[in-house]
Amino acid sequence: MHPNFSLIFFTTLAGMAQGLLVFIGILNIGNDGLPNDFLVKLAIPTALVLLITGLIASMFHLGHPERAWRAVLMWRTSWLSREVIILPIFIGITCLALFSAYLGENNSWIWVSLIAASFVLWLCTAKIYQCIRFIQEWAHFSTIVNFIILGLASGWMLLSILLLIWFGPDTISVLTLSQFGFILIAAAMIVKLWIWKRNRNLRPKSNLNSATGLKGVNVRQTSMGMTGGSFNTKEFFHHQSDLVIRNLRRIALVLGYILPLISLVLAIGQDQVAWVFIAFVIQFSGLIAERFLFFADANHPQNLYYQRIS
Amino acid sequence: MSHNKSTSLKSTPTKKQLALVIDLNVCVGCHACVTSCKEWNTSGSAGPLTDLNPYGANPNGAFFNRVQTYESGSFPKMETVHFPKSCLHCEEPPCVPVCPTGASYKRAEDGIVLVDYDKCIGCKYCAWACPYGARELDEERQVMTKCTLCVDRIYSETLPESEKKPACVLACPTSARIFGDIHDPESEASKAIENRSGYKLMPEWETQPANHYLPRSITEIINAVKAEI
Repeated sequence: MHPNFSLIFFTTLAGMAQGLLVFIGILNIGNDGLPNDFLVKLAIPTALVLLITGLIASMFHLGHPERAWRAVLMWRTSWLSREVIILPIFIGITCLALFSAYLGENNSWIWVSLIAASFVLWLCTAKIYQCIRFIQEWAHFSTIVNFIILGLASGWMLLSILLLIWFGPDTISVLTLSQFGFILIAAAMIVKLWIWKRNRNLRPKSNLNSATGLKGVNVRQTSMGMTGGSFNTKEFFHHQSDLVIRNLRRIALVLGYILPLISLVLAIGQDQVAWVFIAFVIQFSGLIAERFLFFADANHPQNLYYQRIS
Repeated sequence: MSHNKSTSLKSTPTKKQLALVIDLNVCVGCHACVTSCKEWNTSGSAGPLTDLNPYGANPNGAFFNRVQTYESGSFPKMETVHFPKSCLHCEEPPCVPVCPTGASYKRAEDGIVLVDYDKCIGCKYCAWACPYGARELDEERQVMTKCTLCVDRIYSETLPESEKKPACVLACPTSARIFGDIHDPESEASKAIENRSGYKLMPEWETQPANHYLPRSITEIINAVKAEI
């Protein structure tokens, strides 16, 4: 599929905000884990900015954003519609959490609903892709696992640097933050390597014989029926060379996972705050490459019909 | 789940399902169906269909129908097949349930899959969910477009009876396109599918395309004759 930057930014930014809010929720259920000041002035506003930036980014994917409200109608059948419904609910609960923290309260039910809404949003986002049964790279539960684990990992990294900014390294343990971040990113890397291995071993169910019904051997296209291309030749292929994709995969692996893990090991070893910041920045840039590949790796069977101009 | 599927399959044949049956024996790849489709639909209720850079080096635009060409075999036993492709009006259309606004829908009365352009938000999700690449985004209007089976022709109150057919069917010089109700066993379309082993594209995804293709039989006949000599 053609990687669309509005969707890349929406899924990464919203995913990070969801991860951040999940951990804020977990740390606050039943006790005053994080001080209200930190939540009101830094953590929750940061999450809101990310969510709203993501929401605006997602609008660029639409041909008619002014009609976007209509997308709430088909929630019975469409995961996209369900996502469009849960996203504002999630933002609403986040605002409620902000207001409640502002009033100095700590309502466990707000945190529980925030965590639940976050997971529902991940599920809806991932299901949009997973439910397309003939895009075999996506039609697997690993799509959901990947969205959740990367959201949690990037959200935890964000929470780590927010805590370090607010409290400074003297009150907050760099060690604990980095150790947990290391576990999350390592888990995300295992998931990603497993997904890439699965993708490599996939056998396309469709081929030119099934697409055209022609029974002969060595069926090949000699003309796709137009010379100047069409929506079909733009939307469903990444238009990058194999070399670019190969290098991007290396970049995604190194920036998204390996370098952040090394940075966190250094943070643990040297107890240095700077390494946590470096890990956060590198991981997010790697995440963009990872999401680009998520789209680029998806093979759409319609491409069988668009192989040769003439 | 499988029980539900079998009951829905049983109940569907009672309803009407309009479709095209395309005879690969006689399609000569002239693209008359493509141009007549564009002509009718750019001026009809589905239009105007965008043409970008129409006289330039890389013309681009929205079409509902394309004619492609395939080869099979190896020299000298080769075959060239011209292969028209448009929306197949699936009986289980994967593009319809994914639409978040309900702009994409399948008509209960005749099985035609349509897009309501006034409701479409241009999210392209239906095109992703179509394994056949049957939908094309109109880049100027930013709405999804697709074959309507010339719904504005076949139910027209002003056209004479003989012209109440899709434009592509009327334009085809070799009568390679048969239009009819594939749930009516007496229709020309149903008989063609039945008698000439009409098949569906990508049956592996269980979309139950309504449009069928008639496999080439001429070469088999020629080969059979040659074998006798």
